[in-house]
Amino acid sequence: MIEVKNVKKRYGRKTVLNGVTFSAKKGEITCLIGINGVGKTTIMKAIMALTPIHSGEILIDGEKVNKNTFNKVAFIPDMITMPPNMRIEEALEFMADFYPTWNQTRAEEILEFFRLNRKDRIGDLSKGNTAKANLLLGLALDVDYVLMDEPFSGIDIFSREEIAEIFTSHLVEDRGVIITTHEINDIEHLIDRAIILHEGRVLKEFDTEKVRELEGKSVIDVMREVLM
Amino acid sequence: MKSYVKLVNFEFNRYFKIYVVLVGITILCQITGVIFEGLRFVKEAQETMQHEMITMEQYAMNYGPISMYDFIETIWFIGPVAICIVTLLIYMLFIWYRDWYGKHTFIYRLLMLPVERLNIYFAKVTAIFLFVLGLVSLQLILLIIENNILTRLVPEALLMEMSITSLLTFDILIILYPPTFSEFLLYYGAGFLFILVVFTMILLERSFRIKGILLAACYGGVIFALLLAPILINESLNDYFYPIEILAIEGILALMIGTVSIMLSRFLLNKKITV
Repeated sequence: MIEVKNVKKRYGRKTVLNGVTFSAKKGEITCLIGINGVGKTTIMKAIMALTPIHSGEILIDGEKVNKNTFNKVAFIPDMITMPPNMRIEEALEFMADFYPTWNQTRAEEILEFFRLNRKDRIGDLSKGNTAKANLLLGLALDVDYVLMDEPFSGIDIFSREEIAEIFTSHLVEDRGVIITTHEINDIEHLIDRAIILHEGRVLKEFDTEKVRELEGKSVIDVMREVLM
Repeated sequence: MKSYVKLVNFEFNRYFKIYVVLVGITILCQITGVIFEGLRFVKEAQETMQHEMITMEQYAMNYGPISMYDFIETIWFIGPVAICIVTLLIYMLFIWYRDWYGKHTFIYRLLMLPVERLNIYFAKVTAIFLFVLGLVSLQLILLIIENNILTRLVPEALLMEMSITSLLTFDILIILYPPTFSEFLLYYGAGFLFILVVFTMILLERSFRIKGILLAACYGGVIFALLLAPILINESLNDYFYPIEILAIEGILALMIGTVSIMLSRFLLNKKITV
């Protein structure tokens, strides 16, 4: 389980996270929802020790973040994290070189699923294909948790559909996923838990299935209710 | 250790193209230069000898022979060496900042590797140091070749032949090729320390941004003052210490500064770095 406990973070004088607390379990898709600048990306960066927090605690399966965390958690940011002059196949080699959890068979499978050309240079890829290559680098790792920051950001409808398909496949199944997205419609039916963030705090945390069954409300309905 | 070696190899390959260009420029400039300077000298000498109706020996006596030392002072030699030094100095900054900027922020990937983050720091330090050693070795080979070319181009009577060992005692070459091991440790140790301090300053800036620039400037300033202090104190004491004692004090200071820089960089990379 990923536990984010009372995390506070400031950028200069601006408080971005003001005591954020939530947890994400393995086998569940947890979606962080909120308007721009609410601290969704900062939370993900903090989980991966890519930005320091001022107070609070983040635990991955009960342990503080350390170098072994990166064998348990993969972070897929909203931009690709490989040099533009690198070919896709070189990026795969790089990942295989450094990550003991790299699964080449799965990488080949995703490569085929997304119809990516391994000879293409990352800098030459279209926005959609860049997003797919980015997902490939994260999802081909045999990790327990995957953090995805805006995986649908700025890409066409067909690519979005393809990426959404990934969530129902065995590539995501059994893993704990934390996702941030503005395109909530694309994955609403896939989300297990939703966490609405506002002004650096968790405003509401709910089980999407329960809310749908008991209250007949969609995630967007709850968002409207809470944020408007 | 394995991941450190892989990271060094990766860093080395990323700079390799620019490095090959640098090597190419150095070889081209210096070889062209030594041929050009050698032929020009011979041509001018012949013209003067004809005009003044003197022998080669007399010419050498009146105007002086040419030697490799004359070539080393020309732009053909100094130019590419300066280009290499400036490029490597710029690359010391570029090796970090290129990973942060642009659409493809590779620093995310580097910091998310399941390895000690200090390995990234050491891999970059090692890569820079390897580039320096590579260029210094190339220069030594080039000096031997250039000396050979000059010997073939210029008649014996007009040439002051120099051995490579005597050549290496001149100007910048004595720093690049120190004659003793202790001097090697001194010059290259100072270079190594410079890289460690600059990298720590970059990490301070990357961790605290605007405040970090100030912190980095303070860190650099304090270290400069620390290294200068024994020399200034000794001067104020009318050279109370022997040079070897000053050297020992500087050596201990350098070791301390190096250790603090590494420890501070480790702390920044693990606890303070922001992407």
